[in-house]
Amino acid sequence: MADPAEHREEEEEAAAAAAGEDEDTGAQVAPIVKLEEVAVTTGEEDEEVLLDMKSKLYRFDKEGNQWKERGTGTVKLLKHKETGKVRLVMRQAKTLKICANHLVATTTKMQEHAGSDKSCVWHALDFADGELKEEMFAIRFGSVENCKKFREMVEEIAEQQGKNEEKENEEVSSTAGLVEKLSVTETKKEENAEKEETPAEEDKKDAKE
Amino acid sequence: MALPNQQTVDYPSFKLVIVGDGGTGKTTFVKRHLTGEFEKKYEPTIGVEVHPLDFFTNCGKIRFYCWDTAGQEKFGGLRDGYYIHGQCAIIMFDVTSRLTYKNVPTWHRDLCRVCENIPIVLCGNKVDVKNRQVKAKQVTFHRKKNLQYYEVSAKSNYNFEKPFLYLARKLAGDGNLHFVETPALAPPDVTIDLAAQQQHEAELAAAAAQPLPDDDDDLIE
Repeated sequence: MADPAEHREEEEEAAAAAAGEDEDTGAQVAPIVKLEEVAVTTGEEDEEVLLDMKSKLYRFDKEGNQWKERGTGTVKLLKHKETGKVRLVMRQAKTLKICANHLVATTTKMQEHAGSDKSCVWHALDFADGELKEEMFAIRFGSVENCKKFREMVEEIAEQQGKNEEKENEEVSSTAGLVEKLSVTETKKEENAEKEETPAEEDKKDAKE
Repeated sequence: MALPNQQTVDYPSFKLVIVGDGGTGKTTFVKRHLTGEFEKKYEPTIGVEVHPLDFFTNCGKIRFYCWDTAGQEKFGGLRDGYYIHGQCAIIMFDVTSRLTYKNVPTWHRDLCRVCENIPIVLCGNKVDVKNRQVKAKQVTFHRKKNLQYYEVSAKSNYNFEKPFLYLARKLAGDGNLHFVETPALAPPDVTIDLAAQQQHEAELAAAAAQPLPDDDDDLIE
């Protein structure tokens, strides 16, 4: 069965098929649209690539209580050069469509997937379709070490985002004096609201009587 | 060019008719592109289901309205009435079933009666299956009728973009047209409250216990 000649024949057959696929055997048809080349923008121009790996992405279907494939391609962690924010973008191979697109938030936590040490899971507010959507994602890599690398980097980034936010909070506290004045104004508004609520209560009393 | 039952978009769009025997993988192939899912369960398509499918190319965005038709005769509905104004087509057969290839000429004949001189791709699906019945060298119909032929697998994604790329090139008359990255818009900032986060983590722990479908490692390389 493992005849070398037979094996060679199979290889030749596969090679012929592959060559044939690039050949255009289709009919000559008149084009029906005229398209002009346009400048391509990936949306990643202002970002630095922190990680770029092949992987397979799944999303959790709550209705069916099961994981479903979302795409196979490359996952990237991208850091914005000005804001320092990091997001995860995954693209489907060949079609280059977006499978996932979300910020790595301070609350982003990776969990192990029970069945595989090449996979991990997380929750995200995903913007892949141009609108925010709650998703649970699972991702699988070709090796344990790649999965570990991805997971550790995401967790490190999330932690760093947390520290960045703390710094921002410190800056905010330095203007606490101004905030106190604003809070006084808010208190007055609240008092007005309480007064406005009183007639409603009186109406209730009248109704009971 | 607005066709019946299709909303107008401000970029080029085309009616793509998908035909072939029942069970060859027409719906699974379209769904793979739409959602990324691989649907294992077979549910015969009734009449037709129309799905818009967008691609970004070096010449801008384009859309195929995929008219995924019934392959089983009893669910055919208007049958070849769905082909009217078709601008391109895919004929799908299953390489693990000789009968589905044998029926390709009939699909082609019915299609060409309604749609004259449109680009057509013949697809041999399920090439991931080891025990195939129709070998690559046995597929010759495309040469006789000037169709393009691609071996594909909706399961492994082998060549899954090529039918659309071929058709787009033909419709535009541009052999150099290619797919480019869909622009990744910047996600907006979000505030997350702690109660919601705890619920997410609980849901995530439950989901993490569910198995991932089709663990084939070979797909990632």
